[in-house]
Amino acid sequence: MRLSFDTDVEAFRAEFAAFLEAHLPVEAEATERSRSTGHIPEWARRWQRLQFDEGWLLPGNPPEFGGRNASVLQQYVHREELSRRRICHSFNPQGVGIVAASLLSFGTEEHKRRWAVPILRAEITAALGMSEPGAGSDLASLRTRAELDGDHFTVNGQKVWTSGAHDADVLLTFVRTDPDAPKHKGISVLLIPTDTPGLTRRPFASYTGPDDKDFNEVFFENVRVPAENLIGPLNQGWRVANGSLGHERTLMWLGEAERMEAVARDFRPTDTLEKDWYATLVMDLQALRLLGSAALARAARGEQDVPALSVLKVFGSEAAQRALEHVLEASGPDGLDHPAQTAPYCHMAFDDDSASWFNRYARSFGGTIAGGTSEIQRTIIAERVLGLPRR
Amino acid sequence: MLFEFDAEQRLWQDTVHKAVVKEVPPTLVRAVADDGADPAPLWRVYADLGWTELTDPADAVELAIVLEELGRATDPTPYLATLTQFAPLAPAFGSPDQSGTAVFSGVTARPADGGWVLEGTARHVLDGDRADHLAVVTEAGVFVVPATDVTAVRTPVFDPVLHLAEVTFPQVRVAGSSRSGADPEHARQRALTGMALTIVGACRRALDLVLDHVRTRHQFDAPIGSFQAVQHKEADMHVAVERARALAYYAALTIAADDPRRRPAASMAKAAAGECQALVFRNAVQLSGAMGHTWENDLQFAIKRAKSGELMLGGAAQHRALITEESLAEKRTAEEVS
Repeated sequence: MRLSFDTDVEAFRAEFAAFLEAHLPVEAEATERSRSTGHIPEWARRWQRLQFDEGWLLPGNPPEFGGRNASVLQQYVHREELSRRRICHSFNPQGVGIVAASLLSFGTEEHKRRWAVPILRAEITAALGMSEPGAGSDLASLRTRAELDGDHFTVNGQKVWTSGAHDADVLLTFVRTDPDAPKHKGISVLLIPTDTPGLTRRPFASYTGPDDKDFNEVFFENVRVPAENLIGPLNQGWRVANGSLGHERTLMWLGEAERMEAVARDFRPTDTLEKDWYATLVMDLQALRLLGSAALARAARGEQDVPALSVLKVFGSEAAQRALEHVLEASGPDGLDHPAQTAPYCHMAFDDDSASWFNRYARSFGGTIAGGTSEIQRTIIAERVLGLPRR
Repeated sequence: MLFEFDAEQRLWQDTVHKAVVKEVPPTLVRAVADDGADPAPLWRVYADLGWTELTDPADAVELAIVLEELGRATDPTPYLATLTQFAPLAPAFGSPDQSGTAVFSGVTARPADGGWVLEGTARHVLDGDRADHLAVVTEAGVFVVPATDVTAVRTPVFDPVLHLAEVTFPQVRVAGSSRSGADPEHARQRALTGMALTIVGACRRALDLVLDHVRTRHQFDAPIGSFQAVQHKEADMHVAVERARALAYYAALTIAADDPRRRPAASMAKAAAGECQALVFRNAVQLSGAMGHTWENDLQFAIKRAKSGELMLGGAAQHRALITEESLAEKRTAEEVS
């Protein structure tokens, strides 16, 4: 156990900080704002491309995929430096973090060249098509059907909650290819360009406002997808789902830590009760960092402890939510003002991160629902960490 | 920050765990509670194992590992008081064979004849009735006195294994040389961290006992641990224990490294342990059903130890107030600098 990193990790941090110092886009350049998680403004595309070319986009990757073969701890300090400055390294987070990562883990060389690299270089953006009207927590029950017919699949069905799909160029889509197999064993993954005939996207607003359109319904009506767009082996899609999400989970807690860090910075407690809430936030943030860094250390040793990550997920997302609930309540009627600026404007971050307290609180439920609800996480902890019997 | 035991610490944890399982079984704790068995032989075992020599702050993480395991086992000896309350106040004092405790308030010191006179009464002194020495914190400094100089009466308490005492100093004369140079604030942080680790250990034990119960207890033709209402309470306890445990070891680590964050870290450890025990006590008793209410169930030892820890050295709410104070001061300083 130690409180500091080795000198090689600190040297890596310094090198990245120098890169940011020299190359971060200036505010005047960043006037066009991102309107969804599938939309990257032109200036932000240049920024992402520069990071890719210099090996700073995903430092853990090899140089040809936007990295420099960094260790897990180096990747951690890379995220720390971004978070300290409130910098998004990509405005298409699911494209870079999940879709490209899945293509790199499970795709062919051609998939990597044709799709992963353009996503990482922000030449195109990507969305993730997993959930369906009837398949949320029970994802494996998904019903969007893909039938192989010679050199192509024909896809029929519907996805929903597909963030940023209306602005995305491609969709990593989980489909049922064997309706007779047990539900986890008949799923495959297709990379589908969103301009394919028969594919329609309908963005719809979240409860934060009629203009906040990131969610999409995506309809597939006899959509022809080339067979070569199959990612990973046929009927092995569940493995891809676990692999791509698992990849993200090791660092997902950092997103919540960053959110809490921002709340701690922007929260000005005055009375005794608010100060008590504030202390809880400080403790939760410190504990999350400690537990997260222990998980990172395990990952650095090559140990994958997926159920233990459920502790980070449920704890981090609920702690962030509790902090935002407290700060909203502490703000009294001012908390009703919307739009409002609750943190200094930061041109490198999503604007929602500094929006009204009510908006920030309302958005926190994304953390406790998306990527496995808190209820699912608790069941995973009970059954797979604590070894309680299944029903 | 790399927050994980290294190979040596893992080995130490394993060694300590095995020794505690062997030397401090539940039957021993029960014998102490029910029959007044003397835990003194156990103290000698600890001394033989070298555990009573973990007094150097640099060994704080190794000590933490011992304290967590002893918290799990409901250690019936004055180990916690000696290592985390007495030793930090009396660094130059004591031999591994002897026990000690701290008197943090209630006593005044006045100079007399080149020495000092200590006077006053302290209540709820941990192991005050059986420690060999007392380190007394006064405004004039810290004094170390032998137990034979004071009057100590054990206080009846709800926890049958816990020793608390009312200690009276009837004008105790001490030589100037018995004044310790220890920093009471640093010592307080070590006491807080030690208590937090004890609570965390006790909570882990409570969680383990409840897990055993819900795995084996059947109702409606199923183990009750398969019901979601039960599972989610268990998961909440696990998360609370993980959180408190992380903050407790962090505090130990800041002590070992003499890191400037040690003051808020100690309060965070104590507050998180306090919050953890509240949830664990409530859920553990609830999930154990009527069985949890019986004297013969060992759950009582773990949850009483955990709750007792919360009631000593300042509770969670008090420490949260300190945490905010520290954090806001730090925030102001940072803003002034930038």
